[in-house]
Amino acid sequence: MIPVAHASPPPAIVAAAHISRVFPMPAGPVTAVADVTLRIASGDHIAIRGPSGCGKSTLLHMLGCVETPSSGTLLINGHDVTKLSDRDRSRLRLRSIGFVFQRFFLLPMLTAAENVELPQSEANISKAERRARTRELLEYVGLGARADHRPSELSGGEMQRVAIARALANRPGLLLADEPTGELDRATGEQIAALLDRVNADGTALVIVTHDPALAERSTRILSMRDGRIDQEATSA
Amino acid sequence: MNAMGFAWRSLVRQPARASLGVLGVAAVGALLFDMLLLSNGLVVSMRGLLERTGFDLRVTATDALPGSGPLIPDAVAVTEAISKLPSVRSAVALRFANASIQDGTPRGVYAGFQGVSATSSHPWTILRGRDIGSGAEVVINQNTADRLRIQPGARMTLRASCSGEEQALPPMTFTVAGVAQFPFDTPNGITVAASLDQVANACGGNEVNEADVIMAASQETAGPDTAVADVARLFPSLKPLSNVEAVSRFERGGFTYFRQISTVLTTVTLAFAVLLITVLLTVSINQRLGEIAALRALGFSRWRVVADVFCESVLIVGGGGLLSLPLGASLAVGLDHILKRIPGIPADVHFFVYQAGALQVHLLLLAATAVVAALYPIRIVATLPIAATLRDEVVG
Repeated sequence: MIPVAHASPPPAIVAAAHISRVFPMPAGPVTAVADVTLRIASGDHIAIRGPSGCGKSTLLHMLGCVETPSSGTLLINGHDVTKLSDRDRSRLRLRSIGFVFQRFFLLPMLTAAENVELPQSEANISKAERRARTRELLEYVGLGARADHRPSELSGGEMQRVAIARALANRPGLLLADEPTGELDRATGEQIAALLDRVNADGTALVIVTHDPALAERSTRILSMRDGRIDQEATSA
Repeated sequence: MNAMGFAWRSLVRQPARASLGVLGVAAVGALLFDMLLLSNGLVVSMRGLLERTGFDLRVTATDALPGSGPLIPDAVAVTEAISKLPSVRSAVALRFANASIQDGTPRGVYAGFQGVSATSSHPWTILRGRDIGSGAEVVINQNTADRLRIQPGARMTLRASCSGEEQALPPMTFTVAGVAQFPFDTPNGITVAASLDQVANACGGNEVNEADVIMAASQETAGPDTAVADVARLFPSLKPLSNVEAVSRFERGGFTYFRQISTVLTTVTLAFAVLLITVLLTVSINQRLGEIAALRALGFSRWRVVADVFCESVLIVGGGGLLSLPLGASLAVGLDHILKRIPGIPADVHFFVYQAGALQVHLLLLAATAVVAALYPIRIVATLPIAATLRDEVVG
């Protein structure tokens, strides 16, 4: 095979330039995120760390298009999110971004398979394709045998695996995880971290907000935040 | 999974709450259905009763109800003249009096005593025996036959009371020709009918050839309105009225009361239904805000989560609405039974009468209830701040 030299870096999934988020409060405006510039490309593995209230989750929410910047420019897959309608932002999230939450937020009345199928159904993917993709994803996260189990019949680690499968359902280029091991014991958290590593290794850009240094250390870029700003960026091999 | 399927699963997830909602709507819907049946039931029932008599216009001396106003003089001749009008098929004069039937007790049995002119058609239906002839014969209703344990061929003696004043008229004996069904009989009413002459005789020979009302049937080709106009032209001093006009007069009069009651109760029951469903949906949604915010974060559109909530409302109201129909029908039978104990209500008149229009209004009102009840919960999910909710759920 002939090696191909990249003259330019891979295209950015996220290109944020000087984005800020200010919340109006009765006591005066509060700046949660200030002047953040960030580029996320395919295959990136990024951890965002920092003390509570430093703006990590707000930044993650902006990257995930559920919060819009008060100022600055935020492009996701080339779309300026500040100029998109709510409907278009929903569509962008559905197709391009996956979310994993600390509390899983699986729907308790649906089985694991139905939870994974749900975003595909919203994306109007055919039933046969949904079934096949769901089977594939549950096998991928090691829960092929638990497809028909409801969340109440699964352990915390299993629920988070289902949540990861659900987040990957529509083949997003970017997976955002907010404290994905926050509700899990150390051993289970380690399994989830390994699974997220695998997702990233398979080509999905990963951004994790975490307090857990061990989880952050697995990333290739670690962004440390303080008072709404990225005050340090460390890169590992 | 579409919004309806999703809503169904959300409801099944909380069976107790869903059942409470459905049963609540069923109870409220049953009341609503009954109120709609009541609002027009009496009018529809009265119209049907008037039509079943076979006569579609009535002529009285004044605007007073038959039996409560002055008598029509020279009733037989007037009846004959009316029946000869080209727009009229037949006519019969009726005289209303009271009587005490002697049954061996000091006070006797109180009865309504009717007299009719000698015509081919009488305003009753013979059940057993035959119709009255020219002699001292009467037909009685089933209640009279049961109460006095008499059958056609038996003889009965009664003392008439005709003017409402204290009278001591002599008793008269009649032969029972037949047992008949009278359209305006009350459930326990005792009714006896004879010819106009016999009633006049029983009344002491006073007010001979006078009637409270003349009932007439119009020719099909002419219709009641033409017949009313012809009678008015022929006898300007009399007050002819078609069944339609009579019913509309009832509607403007005493029947308005039932419509007002039903309107008030309909409004109250609908308000309860809206409150019930709004509260249930709001509580349910407030417990699922994190899930809803997560779905939005995963790319579910605002429209989709709104549709989910709306479908939940539709399912609760739809399920309750379906149950409300048999429940309302059963309740209507019971309430009708109770209301018909009001004295003077004919047995064939019903307060709650099924009408297709009432069912349509019922369904429309329930549909509107589903929409209105869902408005506030829909507002909650439509304006849900995704990021703040996710943050609050984790902090909470």
